[in-house]
Amino acid sequence: MSEAVAVNPDLYDNSPGGVPTLRGGHCRACGYIFFPPQSYGCESCGAAPEQLEPMVLEGKGALSSFATVHLYQGKGIETPFTVGVIVLDQGPAVRATLAQPTDSGLKIGDRMHAILAPGGKDESGNDLVELRFDKMESHR
Amino acid sequence: MKKTLRQMRPVYVVGIGLHKYQRLSETPYVTLGLTAVREAIADAGIEWRNVDSAYTGTALIGMAASRPMLRHLGATGIAMAQVENASASGSTAFRQACLDVASGISDVSLAIGVDKPGPVASAPAKTNIRDLVGRRIVPFTHFALLANEYMNRYGVTAEQVAAVAVKNNRNGANNPYAQRQKAVTLAEVMDGPPISGSLTRLQCCPVGEGAAAVIVASDDAIDKLKINRSRAIQTIASVSRSERVYRGAKNHDAELTRETVAQAYEEAAIAPKDLDLIELHDAFTIEELLYVEAMGLCGEGEGAKMIASGAVDIGGKCAISASGGLLAMGHPIGPTGAGQVAEIARQLRGEAGVRQQPNARIGMAHMVGVGAVCVVHILQKRS
Repeated sequence: MSEAVAVNPDLYDNSPGGVPTLRGGHCRACGYIFFPPQSYGCESCGAAPEQLEPMVLEGKGALSSFATVHLYQGKGIETPFTVGVIVLDQGPAVRATLAQPTDSGLKIGDRMHAILAPGGKDESGNDLVELRFDKMESHR
Repeated sequence: MKKTLRQMRPVYVVGIGLHKYQRLSETPYVTLGLTAVREAIADAGIEWRNVDSAYTGTALIGMAASRPMLRHLGATGIAMAQVENASASGSTAFRQACLDVASGISDVSLAIGVDKPGPVASAPAKTNIRDLVGRRIVPFTHFALLANEYMNRYGVTAEQVAAVAVKNNRNGANNPYAQRQKAVTLAEVMDGPPISGSLTRLQCCPVGEGAAAVIVASDDAIDKLKINRSRAIQTIASVSRSERVYRGAKNHDAELTRETVAQAYEEAAIAPKDLDLIELHDAFTIEELLYVEAMGLCGEGEGAKMIASGAVDIGGKCAISASGGLLAMGHPIGPTGAGQVAEIARQLRGEAGVRQQPNARIGMAHMVGVGAVCVVHILQKRS
């Protein structure tokens, strides 16, 4: 089997044996923490790109809403799949695909953690992995 | 010093016209647009040569839409331009027409919204900022997520959210310009194909084609062109805002509407209780619940109760989406905001027939566009 290639590899890092981390950003001028990362200028205070720095965000947070999607014409995932908003412990709200294909067993407030999950295949047939969030069963 | 619309010279809606909203057809956009403009000119009782400027609200047709359409009314040489502001394109075209007349640059101006579904060149996709979900979260899922959070927070059921579609389709059934002209039961809404989260097909607006035209004029023009003053409806507030960073807010969409509408109330010197009707951005059922609260019509979490009470039905305290709203009248993008203004003007004139909200004097048009932007107008019947 070919080596797994990450979908959107610029957005996260895999810490061996641990929870993947997200590559966010931080504004030195106003303290605003954001995801996804960008280097155009601070949305909150307008500070110039020099004031923006990368910030590693722990892939842990709480589920604030979720929805099972039944209508999707894109590639890479079959319906139904479930997406959610996870408010990271460091503040930013992140929208991500959830590990669970349907919402059964999910409830708002659930503790969630990032995982690397199979994410289909690329055009060359290589297996892909992508960052998703899963319910944290044992770390309440 | 900055001025509000009301601090400039008065501006009135004097002509309205529409082409029915419908599924994509072979009809050229030119035909759609001209149908609406000709109806609006006839409604105003003026001639095309009396119009000083034209703003075309469109997001999907492509570059340079105005003159290839409007030249067929006689190429008078007037100022014309396209206005693209996502779903609020028609609202923004109307705002530009109002500002043109209020400032004194024009005596008569046209806002024409026209669109046909097609491939969209979306600028947000070209920012090189990528997220984790891409097209897996499109607007219907964005609002499904907000619905999930809202229902959980306030103990509201999926049926209570779906009831918005029942009300607005009931209104749309009586609107000959509506894309969906069929009353539906709650069971029909709930049992329809699931789209995302609790949202079913009839809880998502149809995006088709159509056109809506609004002609605005000054007092001078009303006198000079002998326009029927008793049918003129004044625009008393025009507010356009964009989303800020609402740190800690649970719902950015509601916050944007809250602050845009608050500014409109202040400019118009009215309170929510003064509103007789609202055309509201109900692209998805949940939005009506979120926005009636953000507009101050009821308290937080009380939207479902308010809708169940009949207070926002035609004949209630404040009719919401008497036209059928985006859910039933449809959301052809460019026309939608202009069509809202046309419905409010028709209602305030007392010409809405079976959809008439009794004794309507003040109405508000509210659109939200991807980005996010929010555009609000308040219109008033003159005493």
